[in-house]
This record gives sequence, structure tokens and C-alpha cells, in this order.
Amino acid sequence: MVFSSLVFLCIFLPVSLFLYFVIKDRTWRNWVLIISSLVFYAWGEPVWITAMIFSGVFDYFNGLMVEKYRGTRKAKAFVALSAVGNLLLLGIFKYSGFFVENINTLFGLSLNVPRISLPIGISFYTFQTISYVVDVYRGEVKAQRSLLKFMLFMSLFHQLVAGPIVRYSDIAAEIEHRRVTAAGFSEGVSRFITGLGKKVLIANTAGELALNFLGNDYERLPVTGAWLGILLYAFQIYFDFSGYSDMAIGLGRMYGFTYKENFDYPYISKSITEFWRRWHISLGTFFRDYLYIPLGGNRRHLVRNLLAVWFLTGLWHGASWNFIIWGLYYFVFVLIEKLFLKKLLDRLPSVFSRLYTLLVVLIGWVFFYHTDMSQGLRFLGVMFGKAYAFTNSEVSILFRSNVIFIVIAAIASTPLAVRLFTAIKNYFQDNRARVAFIDNVFKPVINILILVLSLAFLVGQSYNPFLYFRF
Amino acid sequence: MKKLRLDAIAFIVILGGLGLANLLNFNKPTVSALENRMLKARPSLTWESLFSGDYFRDYEDYYSDTFLNRDSIVKICRDIKDSLSLNEPGVTLVVTREQNAPVNQVPEATPTQPPQPSTPRPSTSPGDLPETQEPPETGMTPEPTPTPTAEPPREFGDDETVAYYLIVDGKAVQLFKFSREGMDYYAEVLNKYHEVLGDKVTLYSVIPPTNSEFVKLRKYADITDSQNDAMDYLRSRLDPGIVTVNVYDALNRHKDEYIYFKTDHHWTALGAYYGYCAFMDATGMEPVPLDRYETAKVEGYLGSSYTKTLNKELEKNPDTIYLYLPFTNHEYIMYSGNKAKTADLIDMSYAEGSSDKYLIFMSTGGATWSVIKTDVHNGKKILVMKDSFGNAWVPFLLPHYEEIYVVDARFYSKSSTGLNIPQFIEKYGIQELVFLFYMEDVNWTKFMNGVENHLN
Repeated sequence: MVFSSLVFLCIFLPVSLFLYFVIKDRTWRNWVLIISSLVFYAWGEPVWITAMIFSGVFDYFNGLMVEKYRGTRKAKAFVALSAVGNLLLLGIFKYSGFFVENINTLFGLSLNVPRISLPIGISFYTFQTISYVVDVYRGEVKAQRSLLKFMLFMSLFHQLVAGPIVRYSDIAAEIEHRRVTAAGFSEGVSRFITGLGKKVLIANTAGELALNFLGNDYERLPVTGAWLGILLYAFQIYFDFSGYSDMAIGLGRMYGFTYKENFDYPYISKSITEFWRRWHISLGTFFRDYLYIPLGGNRRHLVRNLLAVWFLTGLWHGASWNFIIWGLYYFVFVLIEKLFLKKLLDRLPSVFSRLYTLLVVLIGWVFFYHTDMSQGLRFLGVMFGKAYAFTNSEVSILFRSNVIFIVIAAIASTPLAVRLFTAIKNYFQDNRARVAFIDNVFKPVINILILVLSLAFLVGQSYNPFLYFRF
Repeated sequence: MKKLRLDAIAFIVILGGLGLANLLNFNKPTVSALENRMLKARPSLTWESLFSGDYFRDYEDYYSDTFLNRDSIVKICRDIKDSLSLNEPGVTLVVTREQNAPVNQVPEATPTQPPQPSTPRPSTSPGDLPETQEPPETGMTPEPTPTPTAEPPREFGDDETVAYYLIVDGKAVQLFKFSREGMDYYAEVLNKYHEVLGDKVTLYSVIPPTNSEFVKLRKYADITDSQNDAMDYLRSRLDPGIVTVNVYDALNRHKDEYIYFKTDHHWTALGAYYGYCAFMDATGMEPVPLDRYETAKVEGYLGSSYTKTLNKELEKNPDTIYLYLPFTNHEYIMYSGNKAKTADLIDMSYAEGSSDKYLIFMSTGGATWSVIKTDVHNGKKILVMKDSFGNAWVPFLLPHYEEIYVVDARFYSKSSTGLNIPQFIEKYGIQELVFLFYMEDVNWTKFMNGVENHLN
């Protein structure tokens, strides 16, 4: 199931919330959450829910063993077992086809290429349980003794299928004991609605428009069309993914969990390094804490460490060379920024460093979008002038039909709206009634409007694929 | 849980309320008149559908398809999107995308219910094809099971077809995108027919262009490729033994008349008449003047282009269907599978209620095959292999032929007649064969692949 579906919004969520709040007993509440989560997952993945449950039980066991043999070599062995087991699971489901294809190409063989469909969310939950076992080993958290509670962490439907990658340590206390307040619940709703609006109103619309420019043979794509297309794709992917993270965080709040932020307005970054601190934060910190720093970080083998991180970041996004190239592309920029460019960027007026970052990111999306590399290179060619025309009527009509939407999406990519709210509240700071009005009436009414619009658009658009399911 | 904020309360009330309202709505619609299609039915729960995940996917489609007040919600969304547009009034570009269904799957599972062959393709829509057929009055047909074919079908292109509609001054224009591959393949297929049939049968290529050629596109003329150039290209590719009928010039001479619908991709009966005159020219026969016909008209037609685009300008500006009633005595027999029934060439039962009034022509024209026997005892027999554009055109042939055989390339099936097209021609002693496919079908390899398959 996805959050932006009518079945989820009108059936699943009301029923799950109702049961959750009607039942007061803590253990039973946990059961409601687990069963909700399993139903949620099975809805999209009725067979490979077994892989998810396996991974959960497996790492529950590994966590216990690591704790039991703390300080001995056996503990290390169980960490290794967990990592190998999860990566093997991921490898079989996600990368075996890709691997065999490459072996075939490399050695001119024709081995049977396995075609296994990718279980939803496997890239997220394997990482979550690996981080749990490592954290137990490092002594950062205690191993969870209750299988029920561990499965709760593992299967929470809020973040199970599309992240953020929640670490056990972040919510360990809330698994044991959590309180849902009216204010917290309201905040959760508000956050969920923000995410829903981002996904349904902006990402889906941008995605539909982007299709007009992307994915064909580009023989008839003018320069302006290529730029407009990749810009729309950039909107689509950001609002899709960050909207989904917002919904996850909002749902967490409704049920009493606090997840960390996953996006922080990445498109306003002034360097690529900064972009990656603002984009998919939970993945970046995962690689930082469990790969980059253990390898030696900045102190030893900097280039090798960066290369490993970015190669794997690319590969994590999909079993295809274009994702690897996309990752290595960022490796190059992060490396030269570390060497000298960052210092230069810091001295430039921010408009230049922002433009530079946006340009690099937009070109990055070209690699990300095109699994067919030659097609991607053709698209790049069109962007930089190798096109049949500079512009055409189709592009200008579509641009004018959607320019207001594009402006809205651009503004929503920045913290402008949030800052405006804060500024207004500051202006009225002496007038408590007005501030209360803004908080308790004005903002909620806007949220309700977004909710109603999103529901209408969900009914109105049959086109509703969720991009990050591929990963 | 006291002091919930306003939006949190609204959230619970709205979602819970919608859930309950949909749950208690026992009278779920099965048809969308607005979209001219059958809505998804509640899927049946089987182990197989459960484990494959199909059940859940289907259930989601069913749920959103039958959502309360869906049609009005769809229109509200359209209005919101329209209100954000900064284009000059009257100009909109709508892009539609559809999954292609395979061609040549014959509606034999539904022998008594004609397929609905006249929705447009976005280079051809599955609406053209039996899978999504919709008999206009009796509700919806179950999906027919595909006819197994002996050979694996030749694969062409993507499974998705994209169509661009420019709406300008209340007229919908499907933009033409020239495809060399498509054109070459059309010529290849016709040349094959010529090779197989030899000189005993005269072959005609009759290609109605679409209205993108004749509507004034103002400053956007460069947005669509020239169909006239495409016709010239085709002429150079076709075997000289095949007669190319110049429909283009005939229509161009009358381009300011009502020769195309505004809200539908088809030509009007008047347009089809000029197409018929061009054919008469090519055969050396004298066309019957139009005033020889009694006429009828049907108002308030919102056709396929409207259904696709839901455009407001089109909605405000519906079409009128003018009909020319045949004066030649005749009998029109439609064979669906192995069942025969007589029907009206101009079937007014489709004028009322039905969302697709173009089905009036040849009573849908969607049989496996059909024949019109006239009292013109001149011994002339013709076969028209056509798409839905043929439905408005064929009735004009009545004064000139004793027997007119009609095959829709999408619905003909060897498995019900036991004959491929050359055998069919042999059996009925047919002397002339017309290919009448509109430009978008000519340009679409998947469609022409269906035509090619009828050789085998």
C-alpha cells in the first residue's frame, strides 16, 4: 500500500487509528501496530513479506547474541553474520539479475539471468536491522529482548516501505513507552497533510508533465524542452520522496514516535557537499556512520573512503549502471569540493554557488532518470544545444499552461513559506490572540484545504506511481 | 485526546467519513459515461490473485473508480488545472497516455454484443480494441479471452501510446507525428497483399487524414507534421499496381465545410462523402450527388476527443451528426463469431443515451465481418478492410456494388471464418479490395501488424 492511495486514507488509516486509540493496554496497542504494519506490507507484497519477517527474526537473534557475547570475538562474528545475511538477502533480490547480466557481458556467456521482483522496502529494512545489530555491538543500545517489540521496530508501516531509515536507537525509548498528546497528534496530522500535498499535488503533477519531455528518442525535443523536462523531474523526485518522508514522520507523531528529519530543502544548497547533507539525510548518515567513519573517514584513505561511499550510494538506488555512474558523478564533485572548490564557493556570492549546485544536481538527475546510458547522453546533448530546434510550440504551450504550477513548486522547494509564517508570528508576537489565531485557525484551515484538494486529485488522477518503490 | 487542533479533527472526520460513506454506498456505478468506459469491478478473491498481489491492485483501482461523486470530482480537478493556465483563451494542449492492448484479439467471447470500435487512439487507443469494448446500451461486456494465435506476434514499439491534442477555438486536433517506420510498414503490408492477390483483385489505398491538416492552428502550425507529405512519401513506397486514392485533395477543397467533428477524431458523414467522391474518381465511376440523399441529424454529440481531454471548450461546443440515409435497397448482415444478424447501416438506436453516437454508422461496424447485399445487380463485389473511419464511408458505396464485404482489421478473425483474407476474397468472388485506415492507424505499426496477420 502507499500513503497516497484512497484505500490507505479512507479505510486503512481510520481503522488502524481507531483501534490504536480505543485500546489502552500497551501490549495490545503494539499488536495493533504490528498487525496494521503486516497488513499494510502484505497489501503490496503478499509473498515476500516472508523475507521481511525472516530479516526481522534473524536480526532479533543476532542482536541477542551480540549482547550475550559482548566483548568476545563471537560478538563480532554475529555482527558479521547479520551484515552478510542482510546484504545477501538484498543481493539476491535486488542485484542478482544485474550481476549475472554483467558477468554475461564481461565473459561473453549466456547464463540465465534471474528475474526476481524486488520486495518493497527491502533496501530500507535491511539497512535498519544492520544498523541495529551494529549499534548493539557498539554498546549504543541494549538488545531488544522482546521479539514482539523488535518486530514492531522493524515493521512499522510508517517507514517500512520508503524510509526514512529509522535507527533503533532513535526510537528505542518510544518502543518501550510512548505518549500521544493532542498537540503531538495534531502536529502529526499537519505534517502528514504537508507530505500528502507534496506528493499528490506537486510530485504527481510534475511527473505527469515531465513525461512529455523525458523518455522518448529525443529526436524532436528542443533545448527548452529538455531543461523544462529535467526541472520537472527534479520537482517530481524531490516532492515525491520528501513528501513520503513527511507523511512517515507525521504518521509517527500520530502514533507516538519521533523520527528524524530526512530532507532539509536540498535545492537551496550552496555546494554539493551541503546538498547531500540536506537530501535523504538518513541514507547519508547511515553511510557516514557505518561505512565512511569505520573506514577511516577524513583521516585515512580519504579518496578510497569517498569512492566506496558514493559507489554504494549509487548502487543502493538501483541495480543498474546509471545509478552507479550517478553516484560516482557525485563522488567527483564532493572530492573536488573537499580539495579546493568549497573554499572558493564560500567566497562567491551565494547566487553563483546556488546556481552551480542546481546545475550539477539537474545534470545528475539526467543520469538518474536514464537507465539507458546512450539515451541519457542524447538527452544531455539536447540540453546543451545538440537539438533539432531551440524551442517549439509544444514546449511554449505547455510552459504557459503550467508556469504558475512551476512557480508554486519552486517556492515550495525553499523555506520561504515557513519563514513567512515565522515572520508574521514575530510581527504579532505581542498580540497573543493573533498568534493563537495563526496557529490554531489559519494554518489548520490551509491544511484542511490541502487535504481536500489532495483527496480530490487522488480521485482525479489515476496516474499515481510511487517512484521510490524501485529502490 | 482533548484539544485536538482544527485540522486534526477535520482529518479524522473527513477520512473516516469518506470511508464510511463509500462503505455504505451499495449502489456503486459500473460504467463511467464521462470516460466512456467500464469501471473496474470489485475483484474476486482467489488464492492466486491474493498471492500475485493482483487482488490488492485491482481493489485499489476498483475503490478509486467507484469513489463517491467521482465524475464531478474529476471535473473539479480539471477546472482547477485550467484556472492555472496562462495560455491565450481557447488554446490548450492535452497529452493522453494509454496502455496498448494487443491488436487482433477478436470479440468472439461476446458474439451478440458488438465491440465499440470508434474511440480514437492516441495513435490508437485500446478503446479501439475489443478488450475495452463497450456495447452502448446493455452495459458492459466481460473481457473476452484472447484468441490464441499460432505464431508469436511481431513486437512493435512501446506498450504505451501517447497522443497530443491541441484544442484551438473549440476544436480538438490530434497532432500528427510522422513515423517513417510506420509508413514503410504500411507500404510493406499493402505490397504483400498485392503480391499474394496478384492482378485479379484491384487494390485501393484510401487514407483519410485527420483534421490537424485542415483546422487553422493560428501560430502553432509547426506543431503537427504534414500528413500530405506523408501521403506523398507513401505513394513512392507503394507498388504502382496499387491505386492510391487522393482523399487529401478532395477534403482540402472543402476544408471550410463541416467535414470533421470538433469533439471527435472522426470525419463527419460529409467528410466521408468527399472521401467517397475521391474513390469514385479513382475508379472512373460517377459519384451520386449529395442532394440525392434524405438526411437526418443528431445533436449534442460529445465525442472521443472530449472524452480524452475533458476539455471545457469542447464541452460547451458539442457536435451535430448529420446523416445521409441510403436510398438503395439493401440488406446489412453482421457476423459476430458465427452468429449472423441483420442491422441498420444508419442505426438510430445509438443516437440516444449512448455516449458514443458515432456508433450510429454501420451499427458500430464492429462485427467479425459483415456484408451488404444491394439490389444493384451489376455483379460487382468489393471488400473494404477498414477501421472506424470506414463506418461513415462505406454506406456511400451502395449504389455501385451488388455485394459489399466489410472487415474491420481489428476484429476479423480467421478462427471464426476459417479463412484468411485472400481465401475470403477467393470464396466470395471479390474483385476489389479497399484499405481504408485513417492516418494515425497507418502510422501505427501495431495496427498494421494486425492487417498483415490477416494474410496468414
